[in-house]
Amino acid sequence: MASTSEVRKGVVIKHQNDLYVVVEFQHINPGKGAAFVRTRMKNLASGKVIEITYKTSESVDIVSVQFQNMQYLYKNAERYVFMDMSSYEQVEMDGDLVGTDGKFLKEGLGVIVGMYEEKPVNIQLPKKIQYTVVEAPPAVRGDSASGNVTKEIKLDNGLLVNAPIFIKEGEEILVNTESGEYSARA
Amino acid sequence: MSNFSDLKNNPRLKEIYERRLQILHLTRDFFWSQNFVEAETPIALRLPGQELYLNPMSVDVKDPYQMPHKFYLRTSPEYALKKLLATGIPKVFEIGKCFRNEESFGGTHNPEFTMIEWYRAPGSYLDIMDDTENLFKYVGEKLKVGKLKYNNKEIEYLNSWDRLSVKDLWQKYLQVNLDDYLNIENLKKLVSARGWKVEEKDAYEDLFYKIFLNEIEPYLGMEKPIFIYDYPAQMCSLSQLCKGDERYSQRFELYIGGLELANAFGELVDFKAQKVNLEKDKALRDQLGRETWSIDEDFLAALESGIPSAGGIALGIDRMVVLFTGARDINEVIFQSVSDQIEN
Repeated sequence: MASTSEVRKGVVIKHQNDLYVVVEFQHINPGKGAAFVRTRMKNLASGKVIEITYKTSESVDIVSVQFQNMQYLYKNAERYVFMDMSSYEQVEMDGDLVGTDGKFLKEGLGVIVGMYEEKPVNIQLPKKIQYTVVEAPPAVRGDSASGNVTKEIKLDNGLLVNAPIFIKEGEEILVNTESGEYSARA
Repeated sequence: MSNFSDLKNNPRLKEIYERRLQILHLTRDFFWSQNFVEAETPIALRLPGQELYLNPMSVDVKDPYQMPHKFYLRTSPEYALKKLLATGIPKVFEIGKCFRNEESFGGTHNPEFTMIEWYRAPGSYLDIMDDTENLFKYVGEKLKVGKLKYNNKEIEYLNSWDRLSVKDLWQKYLQVNLDDYLNIENLKKLVSARGWKVEEKDAYEDLFYKIFLNEIEPYLGMEKPIFIYDYPAQMCSLSQLCKGDERYSQRFELYIGGLELANAFGELVDFKAQKVNLEKDKALRDQLGRETWSIDEDFLAALESGIPSAGGIALGIDRMVVLFTGARDINEVIFQSVSDQIEN
């Protein structure tokens, strides 16, 4: 058994005999009561998402997950394929478990993959990822005067983000993977 | 998530910040237009509140000879504002920073946050519910915001809001009568029967929240805002008991889209009962090994001098801004939150 202070995104918890991976967690202080931690967890077998709120002093059954550095290779139908850089073995992961993080993946990107019983259960993206801009409509005179301070641009993995109007095709930019937004020029 | 470069480069965050400043301005406008007086009370206090679960941050205030005096950053301006009520100001509000240690950096908390509190004497907690509803509608109409947003949900707020007692809430969500669970032994059995863990040291509040946070809160205020009122008396140390049923106390909370926005009381103005509660809180803190200090006698003296029946509330401005801007979390509405400063 472990303390709730060890609960974070990506850990695997055994709850009522099923295994769940934590997809989101949040501390709550009701003010008039002790502190709690609210978790959203996905059932590793059924994919069903549940929400459980623990008192922070409660113990939880965290099962150990091995984190490994891997490289993203490609997407095969609904599965994402990664390569373990130490053994060169390939692993496939359900699109469901990758979730919305999938849109940030690009070939060759280094990520941390959590493995449980030799199966990948979650990935951790870098906080910022560098992309090349492949499409950026030119800024039009008067844009900023009419309040258009951003435009939609397309990145080398197909991701669309809003960026400042001065960004041009071929530039390298950084995207924040927590907010999914343009961060800065690389 | 807003340092200088975020605000400079990200128009969405810039717009959220500009809207935050407008909301502060409109909130002040609203209370001034309702003949409230805007107060300014100390942030550094020698004797802050001793609520069992709040952790004030301490600061050393030194005199010219470097003699330190231990002060604390306020967790709320409550005592100071009640003292002002006792001087004869009938309607008072304050907007300002409050601080709570050992809370999460981001999500729905930041250790430094902005709170508004307002009080009416004479007044009741029902008047305070009306004020709250009117405040949101006033701000929203000026900003032309049709629906509040939280967690990808849109919440209608321009029509009337829901009001439900805690007892009715338990009936509605759990099909149980809360009257039967006002003592800790019965509540323990209920918590355990519903599949939640019970620990020996769990206090009444802990058990209450194990059920409330799992089975009720996530569903509150999804369609429109809801006030839930009249809490079990043992969960309230600064509010007065309900007339006609002293097992419950005049306290309400506001929930919008599952997010708790405010906590309010029909204020306890009987200084003797208040003194008993404060001493009880202090003793409980002692038992838990938490830091304690003397009870603020100036606060008790103010109550003893006499305050007409009063209602008051503390409402989190940061969370209010989240709802009006559709921001993802509290970090997005705070310029240089604690986590922004630590990460950069």
